[in-house]
Amino acid sequence: MKIEGERLAKKVGIVAGSISRFDNPRHTLQEEMCAEAVKMILDDVPELELGDFMKKGYACCYSYFSDILEQQQCMHWIINDYLGLSGVPSYRVESGGATPIDAVINAALWVRSGMFPAVLVVGWEKMNEMPIQKVNEAIAIAGDTDWDFVSGFTYNAFYATMEARRMHVYGDTEEDLARVAVLNHNNSLENPYAQWPAQNGFNKITVDDVYKSRLISWPYRLYECAMTSEGASALLLANEELTKKLTDNPVWISGVGFGSDTMRAGDRPDNPAWKGLYPEDEKIWPKTVPKPMSPYPDLLNFGALRVSARMAYKDAGIKNPRKEISFVEIFDPYAGVVLAGLEDFDFCKRGEGKNMVRDGVIERHGELPCQLSGALTAQGHAVGSTSIAQVVDSYWQLGNQIGKKWGAPGRQLSKPKKAFIHGHGGTGCQAGAVVLEV
Amino acid sequence: MKQPGPEKILKEKKIDEKWWQDWERKGGWTPEGWKIVEMNDGPTLNELKPEKFLIVHRPHGSLFHHSYGKVSQFFMGLLEGKLYGTKCPKCGLVYCPPRAHCFNPVCRLAETKWVELPKKGEVHSYTIMVIAWPSMAHLQPLVGAMVRIDGTNTCLPMTMREIDPEKVNIGLKVNINISKQPKGDLLDVYATPAEEPVAPKRTPEELKRFREDMDKTRAWVKKTFGKTVS
Repeated sequence: MKIEGERLAKKVGIVAGSISRFDNPRHTLQEEMCAEAVKMILDDVPELELGDFMKKGYACCYSYFSDILEQQQCMHWIINDYLGLSGVPSYRVESGGATPIDAVINAALWVRSGMFPAVLVVGWEKMNEMPIQKVNEAIAIAGDTDWDFVSGFTYNAFYATMEARRMHVYGDTEEDLARVAVLNHNNSLENPYAQWPAQNGFNKITVDDVYKSRLISWPYRLYECAMTSEGASALLLANEELTKKLTDNPVWISGVGFGSDTMRAGDRPDNPAWKGLYPEDEKIWPKTVPKPMSPYPDLLNFGALRVSARMAYKDAGIKNPRKEISFVEIFDPYAGVVLAGLEDFDFCKRGEGKNMVRDGVIERHGELPCQLSGALTAQGHAVGSTSIAQVVDSYWQLGNQIGKKWGAPGRQLSKPKKAFIHGHGGTGCQAGAVVLEV
Repeated sequence: MKQPGPEKILKEKKIDEKWWQDWERKGGWTPEGWKIVEMNDGPTLNELKPEKFLIVHRPHGSLFHHSYGKVSQFFMGLLEGKLYGTKCPKCGLVYCPPRAHCFNPVCRLAETKWVELPKKGEVHSYTIMVIAWPSMAHLQPLVGAMVRIDGTNTCLPMTMREIDPEKVNIGLKVNINISKQPKGDLLDVYATPAEEPVAPKRTPEELKRFREDMDKTRAWVKKTFGKTVS
């Protein structure tokens, strides 16, 4: 715990970040994609030697989601070996879709503890080696296999019921969802690490294109759902002294937060653990809908997202997130998570996420640009790599490196100060958030 | 101290051992085929070059002997056509899915008691699946509903039958049905409307799109399975 008024924690810097692009299939092995990513970090930090990890007491934190998708348990032992890091203190973090953001948080806390001067985070996923229905099954058994998975619901269906309830209670519309999909896809077009342009070319899409994409589970259509991807990414974190030694262009992880919620979404409306926690939310519950015992989050919002964001803001000393944050990367396996997330992250009141979409606030040139990478529906969702890649994209934005790393100088924001990146797993069962700043 | 001793089988529906052994032999990791492909690859879209890959087709799988633990009563109930939940003797919350221990933080993981539940409930939210699991593809478009069983503090996900997908809505009262040939999992449970459903509000464009989507789905089901159910 932090002592009031004093920052016990040491500053954590990002020295370098990299992505081996998302696509499906990649056919390149996990360890080879990881090597491609780590090689880019070595190119960016000529002073760094892989031998330093043993000689100077650095550590590694690995991130991948599914032993089933990889057809391999302990895949990180192969990665660690392949990178020539035998002997180096390391382990794997796994928490469903929250795996990569939790790996970043874990590594940042390791650096803050003073135990390790530097920590390398490496994340990856393989998702194309089984038939697509089996891939869906491997993801769905992250839901409760006795009570959720065998109900006949796919994972898409659980998120769809959550969005259908938002439509009923808050008035979200099909067009709001389609607009989020358009934003993501069009943001990905200049991203050379993104899966959407790799597969579909470089033309912009419209709301009508989203409507023409096939229905998956009403209200969600194909373009509003995450892609399954293969890819890898890496981040080198270090303490303040080492960061300044290794790079002239540091970005700092100034806040981290994480939280949790029930395994089964259906247990949330009357969850006694949430009862009375947020009285301000109960006041704005619409009169036309019967109020459950715990109106927040119900199936409408994601309690774990709020807990993780508020913890990260407190950690980073952020009082007014809407004003202080320059841009945001939301982990959006489904478009509705952007609408809910904007509320859960305190960028607006609950039920008003849709207005931020309709008013263009989250557009590329809006007041709070979101999903600049294209996020999960367009950059892609190689689970163990997803949020690490979103952190890397955000790090490049803050470090004024988009021109160099994307080859798209036009996509560089003008002097952004702080970024907020979130990740979550399950139906919001677990969530993590980080605040970056220059 | 006392040893727990061996399990006593009280009732059993055996699996077909030969079926499983054949299946297990097929799922034994041995490549059943392979292909060599060429594809452009590289770490970014600015650095692609052609590469050759060998891909093997390698099956594997298993049969799990899964215990439902202390909530087995729920599934034993299904086998008898009954619906059970658990109730906390301290706070009174009623769970379905049942919990053997109450998760209300003030109850200190109190052990719960079994209660029989009415086969009635209300739709808390819903979706219409047009890509369902392969075993249920013939039922597409398939309504999935989060159902709050009357008197419980939880929602149980289940599929709905005998409903026009266009009409399902939040608040709809439903009957809960248990399959006449229960297998012993949650798929034995499904909902049907207990009142005349009132469709949610849709704009003319949304309704047109919705009907086109349903027609497309039904056409696919008819082509694939020879008939439609919903």
